[in-house]
Amino acid sequence: MTVILPLLFLFTATSGTAVVLVRDPTRQVFAIAINGLVLTILFDALQAPDVALSELAVGSAAVPLLFLVALMAVRTQAPGEDA
Amino acid sequence: MSAVTNVLPYAVAAWLFGVGLYGIATSRNFIHLVGCLGVCQSATYVLLLGLGYRWGSIAPIFYDHPPGTPAVDPVMQALVLTDIVVGATLTALLLVLTVQAYKRGGSLDPGKLRPMRAGGQTDRDRSSDRGRPAA
Repeated sequence: MTVILPLLFLFTATSGTAVVLVRDPTRQVFAIAINGLVLTILFDALQAPDVALSELAVGSAAVPLLFLVALMAVRTQAPGEDA
Repeated sequence: MSAVTNVLPYAVAAWLFGVGLYGIATSRNFIHLVGCLGVCQSATYVLLLGLGYRWGSIAPIFYDHPPGTPAVDPVMQALVLTDIVVGATLTALLLVLTVQAYKRGGSLDPGKLRPMRAGGQTDRDRSSDRGRPAA
């Protein structure tokens, strides 16, 4: 238990860095979902199960879906036309 | 070992915030920028939970523990819960603004963003005059 928590902190820093360094937004969606999953495991290890549950729902499901919707709206819509 | 583990949550929070700011400053795409802002926010989650954590204590649920057992700080967990919800709302709002800026300006690059004019006409619309509805 004394080893797994520092490892999870370092893993969180790595996955957050990956979200920034993946420049293509379509691939960044996957990085964001993985970052949410890593944060969920970290929160559970930090004795915060309720926060981990909401981070699992929001950070690794809802927010990537929002990004996908925004990418779809940008892709299917020619600039300048109102819909 | 103990000094390292005491400092580690704050170091990770500072690192995440710095990396997120770097991503925001160097981003060439609004959608990527919103993702980098999410990394900045995850720094606040790590900072708050690191503040409230105590080694060797239980989660603040006393259903199967006697009252008085050492537990981590539940106030910080409530703050993080609020932070997560506010962060999701902020992401949704900024993505909607991104889509609107793309509709108006025709680009997702922050460097190509033009100031808005009366009537919603941008330089690009005036030069190409493509797809404007008759107002």
